[in-house]
Amino acid sequence: MALKTLHILNKSPEHSRFQLCLSAMGPEDGLLLIENGVLAVAQAPENLETLERAQCFALGPDLEARGLTVRPGRFQSVSFEQMVELTATAENVISW
Amino acid sequence: MTTLIIIDQAPYGSWEGREALDMAFSLAAFDQPVSLLFCGPGVNWLRKGQDAAGVQQKSVEKNLAAAPIFGVEALLADRAACEQYGLDQNSLLDQVTLADPGPELTARFDHVAFAG
Repeated sequence: MALKTLHILNKSPEHSRFQLCLSAMGPEDGLLLIENGVLAVAQAPENLETLERAQCFALGPDLEARGLTVRPGRFQSVSFEQMVELTATAENVISW
Repeated sequence: MTTLIIIDQAPYGSWEGREALDMAFSLAAFDQPVSLLFCGPGVNWLRKGQDAAGVQQKSVEKNLAAAPIFGVEALLADRAACEQYGLDQNSLLDQVTLADPGPELTARFDHVAFAG
């Protein structure tokens, strides 16, 4: 099923726009973490509790650069090609 | 004259941290005592196993491996930030020392400067 809005988040969890993005997400939306945003996968899962239902993605090359891997379940690691596909199929895209 | 350079920004997202690192290495190369302190999202500089080829950058882990060669005295990491980002002695680079930023720490240095 296509996402209503894909939220592309490149800010680290300390950035004020990070929380702003999370609070702007609806139930049919998806979250794609890129650049500094992928650091959120290293933090305690409670910090992302509000995302219970949303589909969550993190850009693989950005994870690898920072020595991170995703825990199975919550986040799916995606390639650049898959990122393009996500942006092309979502109804709307917001780059935070 | 001792200097502490503080990096409080995440790696790869901007260039400020790398510039601060160059500054630290330059000081050390001219025999000026210098240490680096990584705070907040900056502690992510210190995680083992970084491979930045996929984002067309050089790994900052390799950069930091040169710190002892240049004569940087210490790589200090904010203890609380490490806990937040799931970093412990096993996942941190070997030469890192955990520290608690505060007046006692900064008092040990003549100069304190930030990246960016």
